[in-house]
Parts: sequence; structure tokens; C-alpha cells
Amino acid sequence: MSLSPVEGAALAEIESTGDGDGDAAAPKAKEFVGRSPGQLAWARLRRDRTALVSAVMLVFFVLVAFAVPLIEALYGIGPREQFQSRLDGFGMPLGYAGGITGEHWFGLEPGLGRDIFIRMVHGLRTSLFIAFAAAVITAAIGILLGTLAGYLGGWLDAVINWITDLTLAMPFLIIALALTPTIALRFYGQREAVPPAFQIGVLITIFALFNWTSTARLVRGQVIALREREFVEAARASGAGLGHMLFRQLLPNIWAPILVSFSLAVPSFITSEAALSFIGVGLTDETPSFGRMIYRSLDYLQTDPAYVFFPGITIFALVFAFNLFGDALRDALDPKSSR
Amino acid sequence: MRPRAAAAAGGAIALVVALGACSENTGEGTTVDNTRQQTGVIATDPKDSKGPAAEVAGASKGGTFTIIRETAISHLDPQRTYSFAGLMANPLFARYLTTWKDDGKGGLVLVGDLAETPGTNVNNDCKVWEFKIKDGVKFEDGSPITSKEIAYGIARSFNPDLAGGPTYLQEWLADSPEFDTKWDFKKNKTSLPPGLTTPDPKTLRFEFAKPRCDLPFAVSLPTSAPLKADKDTGVNLDQRPFSSGPYKVAKNQVGVQLTLDRNPHWDANTDPVRHQYPDQFVWSFGPTQDAANNRVIADNGADQSAVAFNYVPASLVARVAQDATLKSRSILSPTPSANQLVINNQRVKDLKIRQALNYAIDREGLIKAVGGQTVAQPITTLMPPSTIGYQAYDAYPAGANGNLEKAKELLGGQTPELVLGVADNTGEQRIAPQLKGNLERAGFKITVRNIPDDAKLDEIKKKDNPWDLYIGNWAADWPSGASILPVLYDGRTIKAEGNSNQSYFNDPAISAEFDRILTLEPAKQGPEWAKLDQKIMTEHAPVVPLYVDVAYLVHGSKAGGVFVSSVFGYPAFVNAYVKQ
Repeated sequence: MSLSPVEGAALAEIESTGDGDGDAAAPKAKEFVGRSPGQLAWARLRRDRTALVSAVMLVFFVLVAFAVPLIEALYGIGPREQFQSRLDGFGMPLGYAGGITGEHWFGLEPGLGRDIFIRMVHGLRTSLFIAFAAAVITAAIGILLGTLAGYLGGWLDAVINWITDLTLAMPFLIIALALTPTIALRFYGQREAVPPAFQIGVLITIFALFNWTSTARLVRGQVIALREREFVEAARASGAGLGHMLFRQLLPNIWAPILVSFSLAVPSFITSEAALSFIGVGLTDETPSFGRMIYRSLDYLQTDPAYVFFPGITIFALVFAFNLFGDALRDALDPKSSR
Repeated sequence: MRPRAAAAAGGAIALVVALGACSENTGEGTTVDNTRQQTGVIATDPKDSKGPAAEVAGASKGGTFTIIRETAISHLDPQRTYSFAGLMANPLFARYLTTWKDDGKGGLVLVGDLAETPGTNVNNDCKVWEFKIKDGVKFEDGSPITSKEIAYGIARSFNPDLAGGPTYLQEWLADSPEFDTKWDFKKNKTSLPPGLTTPDPKTLRFEFAKPRCDLPFAVSLPTSAPLKADKDTGVNLDQRPFSSGPYKVAKNQVGVQLTLDRNPHWDANTDPVRHQYPDQFVWSFGPTQDAANNRVIADNGADQSAVAFNYVPASLVARVAQDATLKSRSILSPTPSANQLVINNQRVKDLKIRQALNYAIDREGLIKAVGGQTVAQPITTLMPPSTIGYQAYDAYPAGANGNLEKAKELLGGQTPELVLGVADNTGEQRIAPQLKGNLERAGFKITVRNIPDDAKLDEIKKKDNPWDLYIGNWAADWPSGASILPVLYDGRTIKAEGNSNQSYFNDPAISAEFDRILTLEPAKQGPEWAKLDQKIMTEHAPVVPLYVDVAYLVHGSKAGGVFVSSVFGYPAFVNAYVKQ
């Protein structure tokens, strides 16, 4: 990816080597180094310790999500297996801290007696998949509509703006509540189970439908600002087509805000998935997910805090890492905003 | 994050973990003994119906007794009362024709309340019943209660504007479910419904077209509370009922607080069950189930003489049950509210599959999943143990955890695919994965289908509903098999919608048995219902009996005399007192 306004002509920047890192730069102190803005951003990102730590955490979570079948095979317990013999008469796990043992690393769920660790690993995969997929679709719709509206203007801009306003005005929760059961009924009979893949699809669709507006508005504003710049006019004067104008001239210059909004959208979808489970329109209990787990666990705050703690701390770490990384990315890409 | 805030957050997290980790749960002290001998009879000796009620040991007069509840009582007007809260509040300010003498441990005796006896079956055919009204019973203004006022109370229950209460008496007298069109109360305010007469001020007479042997039970519901015609304020009676009981409404801030003061005209010598210990009863509405129970557990100030009407929530159960100091302040009692895994007999026609389901069920695991033994107690019978004449049996003995081998053997290698319809509420969503796991281990293939919570009941009451299995619940209005078995298993009553017979079980031989037993004298019906219960389960297995709900209550350290009603499963206040 190149972030230069005009392809190939790298904007040279004189990097002052004196401030901050004086390691390898010291010997060739007076030399001019040509760096693209991408390289500069990467250098800034690498210097940021918060970014490093949060990136490592994110990589770890993603790796865990990808390795679910492997972890399950090694751990030897399935997400739906029940260990009710290890619960007392009230359905509370026996032993210390919610039934933590060498066999059950994070203990057991009260009531059903399922293993918390393996359900969390599965839940992580579900939540990350939903959040990433929804964020990608959101960004795609937002970019497409935003650039079109911003660049072409006129009646198209008016229509897209109107649709954006309409979408923003729609109450998300009420529509989510009304839509999810109805869609399920439309596609599945009364005697058919709604497969988890479908529920996940519905969730992703609902998130995408309601959240593309912010990206679209952001992109539109950026494109309008760029539209009248000389390099754009030059390209237009040379007779470049619409596709070239959008994808070669405009988009490469607005990646930074898009990336940042993407990185901030992912954690907001993770928490939204959890929130939707609270009002019963998320996934069903059969699909392990963070939302369901946290929703169920809150009842046991007083009696089995360990059950609240493990999913709670994990979703906290996940969302926190994403947000920190998003902030660091913004600082790196947009030096004007840095502290 | 600044270091100090980080340290504080870290400390808080560490504290939570430490609190959770420092105590080992060994499972000891978590078994709750609630064995009880359930008996229920109709008093044959008129002495049983005479007042005063036996003194409660340790009871003293005075003080204010508080009842904390989340939502207000839907109706105070006795003729409109049908909610559990209403049924428990009403005895404080309303008297009925008959009432239950309840020891809170399952010992029930139906006695005359305003009547001298629990009814006289005049021709022994259950078609004509007579009640003699006691001497010295009075309203809150001191005027005497006669059969006229009781008859007027029943008559006004025909008014469609005053709907909400039970409709047994109205339907039986009119001999039609559309009783309000058969006899119009508003046009006949000075007369009485067909079949109801008052030959003299001391006698109330019912004449029915069909035998109604359950009448003594039906008049133990608040429909039979008396009211003077000139005190009838119509729909406004809900705010200020006219008292015939030991207390009267002093102040009613609707939805906030209901205050009841002593009624000086109530005579203890006429009342076989009620007492008048506290100076005042206060129903306080608003706090959630969690908040109310936490307040009562904390035991501060006025809450010391309070009881939380709503049960201890599942999330607090383990804490309350393991706190030795709360033991003396908690009441644990099974209720008559029975839950079944209902099998749709129209779809699952193979008896072996229904029997296999009965063998496969893991009741212990299920009860753990719903919150443990303080929330549910297993049953293997159709009627709950609180029913008159109840006989314990297990037609499909499979132990506490079910017998998977026996179930597989009955299935003979096939894998029946069944659809379990569950409401998408918290409670049933907890049960669904449990039942699915349990039954799939026994060789079934279970598909869980969620039904929107508010629609579930209407949907499963439709005759041609598409599911094979669903959770059903039945709490009878009086503890007689007559209000359970014929209602739930008489195939002739099946209609297109609104069925109580949710298993759609239909067997002519069983239906004929219902008819036979229903014409027997109430006192003789009990053992017959128990026999029929076992016969239905053994021969047809139309449902899988699961568990009865358990009432688990906490009260303040100065609240005494509270017990769980053996009829309705909620706290009863006729013996309540404040410890001085």
C-alpha cells in the first residue's frame, strides 16, 4: 500500500535523527533518508510500546481463535460436554474458585456444568469472526458509498446522504429485536433448528446495515476535501476514468482514517454482540459466545465470582487491546494528531 | 491510566478473585431436608370450622408487619382476585365461605369460614349444596354478614367489567362458559344468578344442572367473599375493598404501599384460621426481587419485621443457604406448581418413545441446571405431592440421573428425531441445553426450536402446534385431582386453540374414569385420583413429570408466624406476628 498522493513520486521527508531514537542513526547523522509516509507510519508504530503490547495481545487472540480445533483436541473437552457430577446440590461447582482444577482450567459453569475454558475459546472465535466480518462489510459499504457521494456529488450525493440520515434515524435495538426472530421464521420452519451460521449471518448483516453510516460520512468528507486538489484536477484533465479517479487517486489518500475507524469498529461490535445477547436477540445458548457467557454469568456475581471473572477479563482485554491499537495506529498514520 | 487508578483497578480485581477463591466448596451443608407428609381432608366435624384459631406459639400482639414485593397486587377486589399475591393478601381483609386450615407443612383441612361447615351435599348427588352462615360474623362497619351479602358477592362476579377472578362458580351456576350473557348482572342487580338462592339470612343454596362435587373447594377462592350492595363501588372496590376479615384498608397508595389496620368488628371466635397479631400490615411495592431479598437479609430497622414476598433469586440461593445465621430466617417448602416435559401425543404416537423419554430423564441434572434443590424438587407423578390423596410412585424407575441403557433398549436402535420448543426466556433457555444433552445421550436426536417468550403459551395451546416436546406448568386452584387430571388429560376437551390439555392426550377409557370419579363425593375422590394418576402414567406416559417449584423465602429476625401456603406456594400471613 502506498500512501503517496501521486503514485511513484515519493515525498521525501528529512527525518531528524536527533529526537527520540539515537541508535542506528547516530553514525550517519547528517544523511538524508527518503521515506514514504507508509514507512514513516510504520516506524512511528514500532516505536510505540503501547501499540506493540496491544498488537501482541491481538495476535495472540487471533491465533487462539484460529487454533480452536487444535486446542479442543489437546484439551480433550468439548464445548457442550457437561460435568454435573462436579456440581453441588445448588448447581454450584465444587472446589476452589468456581471449580478450577487441572482438568478444568477456568472452572465449570454453575447449573449446566460445562467447561468455561473451552467455551471461552469457542466464544472468542465466534465473537472475533462476527466483529471482523461486520467491520469489513461496514467499511466496504461505507467506502463505496462515501467516495461515490463525495466525488460525484449532485443528486447521487443527495440520495446517499438521505439514506445515511434515514439509517441513522432508525432505532437499532428496536429493529434488531423485531427483525431477528422474523428473519429466522422466514427461512426456517417451526420444526427446524436455526443453524448457528445463520444466526451469525443475521448478526453480521444487522451490524453492517446499521454501522456503515459513520464510515460513509467520514469518507465522503475526506473525498470532498481532496476533490478540488491539484493532483486530482490534473488526473481529471488527463482524461482518467471514474475507476481510476476513485481507486488510484482518491482512496490511497484516505486510508488512514478508514483504518482507524475499522480498528475502532471491531471492539464496538464485540461489545454489541454481548449487549444483544442481553436482550435475547444474539446467538442461542448452543453457540458459545462471549455475549451469552457474560449475560449468564452476571447472575452469579455474588455466589460464583470466578464465573464472571474469566469471560469478563478476557472481553475486557480484547476490547482494550483493540482500542489501544486503534489509537496507536491513528497516532502513527496522522502525525498532526499526535500528543 | 494513571498508576494510582491502575493500582486501584488491579486491587479490585485481585480482591474479587481472592473472595471467590478463598473458600472451597465441598458441597457439604447444601442438602436441604424438605421431606413432608402431605395430607388434605375436608372437615367432617363442625368443630373444626369453629373459632378461634389455635394460638401460634410465641406469638405476641402489636407491631407493624411489612411485606416487600416488586410489583403491586393486580387486584384487591376479592371477586377479581386470581394472582398469587392477591390470593395471599385477601384473607387479611376478606372472608370466604370455606377456607383451608393449613399447617404450612402440607397438612390441609378444608373448613367452613363464614359457613358453619364446608358445605352440605343435600341430595348426595353434588347438584344441590347448602351452606349455613355462622352467627356473629360482621363487616368492618359492624353490620352482620348474612347469606344475602355472600350471594351478592357471587352475583357481582358475573359483571364483565369486574373480570379477572376465577370463573368456576359463574360457569357452574350458568352451566355455560359464557356466563355473563346467560345472566346479566347489570340488569338484575337486585336478583341473584340462576341456581343461587338465600332461603333465609343464615342459608345459602346452590343448585347446579350437573354434579359439581368440587364446590367446597371452589368457594375457598375469594369469589365467595361477602359484600353489601350499598358498599359496592364497582371498579373502585379494587382500591378500597370493604373488609370482612381481621384487617381493613387504612390507606392505599396505589402501586406504592398498602396499609392495613385492625378491624375492630372482626371476632376471633368466629374464625377458624385467622389471627390479629400485628397492629398493622404494610405491603410495600417497588424493590426488585434481588433488592427485596438483600434488604431482608441485611435485617435493618423496619426490615426486621419484614418478609420478601418474591422467592430468593437463583443467584442468591447459594449464599443464603450456606449462611448458618440465615437458616432460622428462611423458609423452604415445595409448592403445588408442577412442571412437566409435555410430549405432544398427536405427534409422538409410539408409547415406547414416550416411555424411553421417561426413563432417560436426568432429574438431578435438570434441577442443578435450574438452580438446585431450593428451586425445584423432582417428581415422578402427574399430580404434585400437595394434592389430596397423593400417592408417591415411579412408573419408570431410573434413579436420580435417568437410565440411559433402559431408554436405548426401548428405542431398539432407532434414533427418534424430536423437536423441543422452548421459550426464549432465561429460565427455559437454561433448561434447553440440559434436556438436549441429556436426551441425546439416551439415543434421541433433539432439535431445539426457540419460540418468542410472549407467544409460547398461546402457541403450545394450539392443537396443531408443530413441536414434539415443550415445558408445561400447572398450578391447580385447589389441591384436588379434579382440578388437575381432567383439566390436563381429558381428550374430549381438545379444541383448536387455548387448550389446557397440552399433551393432546386422548383416551376414551381414561376419559370415562374422569366422569366416574367426578361424581363421587369430594372426600372419596382423593385415593381414586391417585390411582388414576398412576394408571395414566403406566399405560400411556403422556408427559415426563419433572419437578415442582420450591418456595424459598427469607424474613427478618422479628418476623414470625410466616409459612408457605400448601395450596398456593406463597407466604401466608394469617399467623404472622412481630416478635417483641
